[in-house]
Amino acid sequence: MSMKQAGGNRKPGSGAGSSGAGGSGGRQNLGRGRLSVKGPSAAVVCNGVYANMRMVHVLTSVVGTNCELKVKSGIVYDGVFKTYSPECDLVLDAAHRKSPGSSVGLRQEDLVESIIFKASDVVVVHFRDVDFNFARKDNFTDTAVGGRINGEHKEKDLEPWDGGRQQHVVSGSLESLDTDVSNGWDPSDMFKYNEEQYGIKSTYDSSLSTYTVALERDNSEEFLKREARAAQLAEEIEASSTYKSRVALENEERSEEEKYTAVVRGEREQHTLNRENKYIPPGQRNREGMSWGAGRQNSPRLAQSSSGPPRPGLHDYSPSSGADQRVVNGGATSCPSPSSRYQSGPSPLPPRAATPTRPPSRPPSRPSRPPSHPSAHGSSAPISTMPSRRMSSEGPPRMSPKTQRTPRTHRVPPGSRVPPGGDFMSHNAPGEVPVPPATRSSSSGGTWSSVVSGAHRPRSPRQNSMGGASPGPSPQTGSASVEPVTTPMSASSPAAASPAPNMAATSVEVKDSRIQETRHNSPTANKENVKPLESPPSISRPLSKGPPSMAPDHRKQIDNLKKFSVDFRLQSSSNPDPQFQQMMTKPPRDAGEKSKELPLDKGSEEGPVVPAGGNKPDSPGTPSSTLCPAPEQNRGPDVTSQGVQTSAPTFSGGAKLEDKEEDDPDQIRKSTLNPNAHEFKPRVYTPQPKPATTPTPPRPQGQPSPSIMVQQPQQVYSQTVCFPQMYPLTPVSPGVQSPAMYHVQMPHMTVSQSKPYRPVPNMPQQRSDQHHPQGTPTMMHPAAGPPIVAQSPAYSAQYFTCSPQQFTSQQLMPHYQSQAQHVFSPVIQGQTRMMAPPTHGHPGQLVSSTTQYGEQTHTMYVSQGPMPQQYAHPNATLHPQPSATPTGQSQQGVQHSGNHPAPSPVQQHQALHMGNQPQQQMYQALAPTPPSMTPGPNPQSPQGSFPSAQQAVYLHPQQMQHGYNPSHMAHMQQVSSTFRSPSLHPEYILYEQAHIQSGMVPSHHGNPGHPQMMLMATQQQGGPQPQLPQNALNPIPVSSTTHFSYLAHPQVQQHHQQQL
Amino acid sequence: MAAPGPGEYFSVGSHVSCLTCLGQRLQGEVVAFDYQSKMLTLKCDPSSRKPNLHDVILINLAYVSEVDIINDRTETPPPLASLNVSKLANRARSEKEDKLSQAYAISAGVSAEGQHLFQTIHKTIKDCKWQEKNIMVMDDVVISPPYQADNCKGKEGSALSHVRKIVEKHFRDVESQKQRSQAQQTQKDSSLSS
Repeated sequence: MSMKQAGGNRKPGSGAGSSGAGGSGGRQNLGRGRLSVKGPSAAVVCNGVYANMRMVHVLTSVVGTNCELKVKSGIVYDGVFKTYSPECDLVLDAAHRKSPGSSVGLRQEDLVESIIFKASDVVVVHFRDVDFNFARKDNFTDTAVGGRINGEHKEKDLEPWDGGRQQHVVSGSLESLDTDVSNGWDPSDMFKYNEEQYGIKSTYDSSLSTYTVALERDNSEEFLKREARAAQLAEEIEASSTYKSRVALENEERSEEEKYTAVVRGEREQHTLNRENKYIPPGQRNREGMSWGAGRQNSPRLAQSSSGPPRPGLHDYSPSSGADQRVVNGGATSCPSPSSRYQSGPSPLPPRAATPTRPPSRPPSRPSRPPSHPSAHGSSAPISTMPSRRMSSEGPPRMSPKTQRTPRTHRVPPGSRVPPGGDFMSHNAPGEVPVPPATRSSSSGGTWSSVVSGAHRPRSPRQNSMGGASPGPSPQTGSASVEPVTTPMSASSPAAASPAPNMAATSVEVKDSRIQETRHNSPTANKENVKPLESPPSISRPLSKGPPSMAPDHRKQIDNLKKFSVDFRLQSSSNPDPQFQQMMTKPPRDAGEKSKELPLDKGSEEGPVVPAGGNKPDSPGTPSSTLCPAPEQNRGPDVTSQGVQTSAPTFSGGAKLEDKEEDDPDQIRKSTLNPNAHEFKPRVYTPQPKPATTPTPPRPQGQPSPSIMVQQPQQVYSQTVCFPQMYPLTPVSPGVQSPAMYHVQMPHMTVSQSKPYRPVPNMPQQRSDQHHPQGTPTMMHPAAGPPIVAQSPAYSAQYFTCSPQQFTSQQLMPHYQSQAQHVFSPVIQGQTRMMAPPTHGHPGQLVSSTTQYGEQTHTMYVSQGPMPQQYAHPNATLHPQPSATPTGQSQQGVQHSGNHPAPSPVQQHQALHMGNQPQQQMYQALAPTPPSMTPGPNPQSPQGSFPSAQQAVYLHPQQMQHGYNPSHMAHMQQVSSTFRSPSLHPEYILYEQAHIQSGMVPSHHGNPGHPQMMLMATQQQGGPQPQLPQNALNPIPVSSTTHFSYLAHPQVQQHHQQQL
Repeated sequence: MAAPGPGEYFSVGSHVSCLTCLGQRLQGEVVAFDYQSKMLTLKCDPSSRKPNLHDVILINLAYVSEVDIINDRTETPPPLASLNVSKLANRARSEKEDKLSQAYAISAGVSAEGQHLFQTIHKTIKDCKWQEKNIMVMDDVVISPPYQADNCKGKEGSALSHVRKIVEKHFRDVESQKQRSQAQQTQKDSSLSS
């Protein structure tokens, strides 16, 4: 009974939903399943009677009515219809056998609580006097109301009310209401009414001859021409996106968040608000909207105003406000990334325009990259200029979008940062691929990144950069971030062509991030935004040799910006620290940009860059910056792109570190944004067999198709995400293993990311869930493949990224650079290795626990982390192999975990502890290795020292998590493999797709897990150099194995089992 | 006629007549049909003749000897309205409770009149229950056998007077109904005799 009843309850529910939606019932069910995140619910596919919508509707609508049920034997039962099963078994409550003889025979002992009748036994069921309207939800429709009226009104048709024609007064008003589309009475009607009713005659002259000259209409050719011209102009204006966006703004299509929770904007904004608050007659709305709308756009977009792209962004924003909100939770990253990309992309490249909200983000990145690549290839100087220009032009637009986005997206500043990083990452990845680093890519990180797609990787680099910067950043987020960026930049410069493009992209992204930061910092006034915008250009000028030219352009564009830029210059030159602090994000960003640009430019630029970094870092960052540059230069070629990416993250991270306490949410948001961007890129890479040379072109191609694929997976992710939440309590759920793993990670991640969350582990999880659901919708919007990836990242990223960026950026930055390089180049090599040696090596390296999956994974991660560090610091040659495996992990980790680590190691610890409780056992096993690892890293990397200690602790939790869920491990590995594969092998692409499809969940998990991974990496960075080699080798094999598993989901599972 | 969709052997809205293996002829408008379970749902005119109500018959076609389609419906079936599931669940629960309480009263030896009165009161006042053979209304008014208006006891007040009115009306209605039925009976008798 209970079973059936339960089933019945569900069915009625689903039936009700489906019935309401009609044909879309099935979809709704699916959606519910996802939203609910309950595995069972999702798995519950309507079968049997439940698949028959009308049968479900009818049977559900008679629930609770008395019925007579006749069985084969002719016996009649009377009871209250309770529910039914898919097989159409029926349940009657309070049923009794009806004997024809006694009418009053109902006795208590005859009643049966409930009886289940098998469908095969039922002949006829008679429900008497059923009111079909009883449970209808639309009880207030005309039909519903009319049908329920007492008496015999059923046949009475509804007829329009003529309102009594005799009464002029009444009829007039009523008619006007019905037919008058205008707002209220027509003036002539009012005059007429007054005249008829009260004898008042108006002296009103519609021609307003007293005030103006009436337009004389005639048929002259000239007049007709003018009229046609006017009509044409009107059409053009009204067809323009700007106009539409403004109109949309006028019509209060902004999200609630933007209206009520957004940061206070500048004067212009306020102006608009005031207008909005006032009632504006429809006729006047367009005009006014135009005027003030323009003002608005200008303020936020400044630069954008000049270029077309900004407009699209606005449109996207306003229309998608609702979506954005959702996005904010889950897909916030996606939105931000688009915005940033848009901003950057629009001016340089048209593609972005084509794809507004989310798609734009990817497209922009692509466009930006291509240009950058050429420039980079051509010459350092040109390259530098390119970036700077982009920065200037793009910067402002980004700013505006960011501001808008930020409010809507809950201030996704972090996200915005992330996106840039993501772009960079992807770019870097391709460039890097050629280099030896491939080995790292093979690492588990790859798997995550693959699922998450590029986003994670990008983040990871950023995070890495962040990590490097971390030492400096703490005081000033902006400065800190800048430093890391600079270092990466230098590294990138060596990278060569591929790096250069990346750099450019990164610079743009960085700008975006800066902009966001600035906005965050000074949301109150537009002026602030302007300053940030200006500042970037100014910075670029002083710092970058080539950039100065760019700066002028910016000045031309915006006088204000110029002023600000000047200010910035002064600050940077004189005392970067204070200014930076004040400016926070902007100055750092600028510096970072400059530095990046310089590196991109090549050696010449590098020199400037370093200084820039020093200036910015000054108090905290100088040391780190100097350190970073050196490694970067060494790594330069491979890392360049990575460095750039990392730099972006670092910036955010630095800002976050400082801001965390103050603006934790913002940071988080930003981070999320970035992750999305990264995700997209990775996918792109995958499709591209030879991304290294020309990352941009391949990405676009790959992205579209992948994106589609990804979307499905994303949905899956969301579901999985839900599971994770559930799981935290019960880590060991066989079926859900992978999800559980993820979940566990997720919680941790979230906790670590947002300090506030720490106290309440559950909270993060919940949020993540929410995000997922939201994210799914967002995913839908992106239609294109990339969005999907972004979404998934967004989920994890939101919480993770935010904090991670900050933290990760500090320590991670270096790692990323090295790792990223390794990953790409090694990929091929690493893959082969991966295949053969996989798991065995890992266990030994990490710790005693080799057999356990979790351990392996942990080891893998650990090794990876160390590997990257080693590369960066010690020897490039050695690093490559290890790096390859680590890279993937590290990237992934960087993206997600990287942020986490950076933000609040402590938090992570806490979070881990919280979530790990069940996993404590795991910890014990794992703990030994991780700690050792952490110590090592710290010493090695001064910057990382801080984090390293904390990281070590983190690592344990992460490891624990991994251990818990074998599937996660596998996923991770797979992900890493997929990532690697994209760059080098087409086959990998296939794998990735498969992963995405089947492994969507894993990927999500991976995302959450990534953060952990990131942490691991960071820790490793510090000290584990010695361990690195071993670890690196092990990781690679693991990844290879995972790759295979990924190909087929079943296979993956098998792997897990085997491992287990 | 609306062409039956895949797997549909009856188009929704068509009128069908069928004869069950127990010799019962059923006729009504097809509301739904599930091929797998062979379950056919018909909507019939209400046996109570009340407007806006219908009888719903769920037939297992496995036990139906003949099925005749009287006419097909050309219109497409109306869209399904969404249902308030919680409302349905509440109805199921309350119906069950009512039946159980009724069974309790019957088992307690309450007269048919008493049960009838209880049903009537329950329509107006949900808060009534059996206490042995007494009817407790709102925990305030007790109606003891033989359940006449004079048997209503409790604190003087609006509640008591209100219950009394209900009881009085109930018996008035019962009386009038009897007379009506008697009249009908006499008419039938007279018509038959004539």
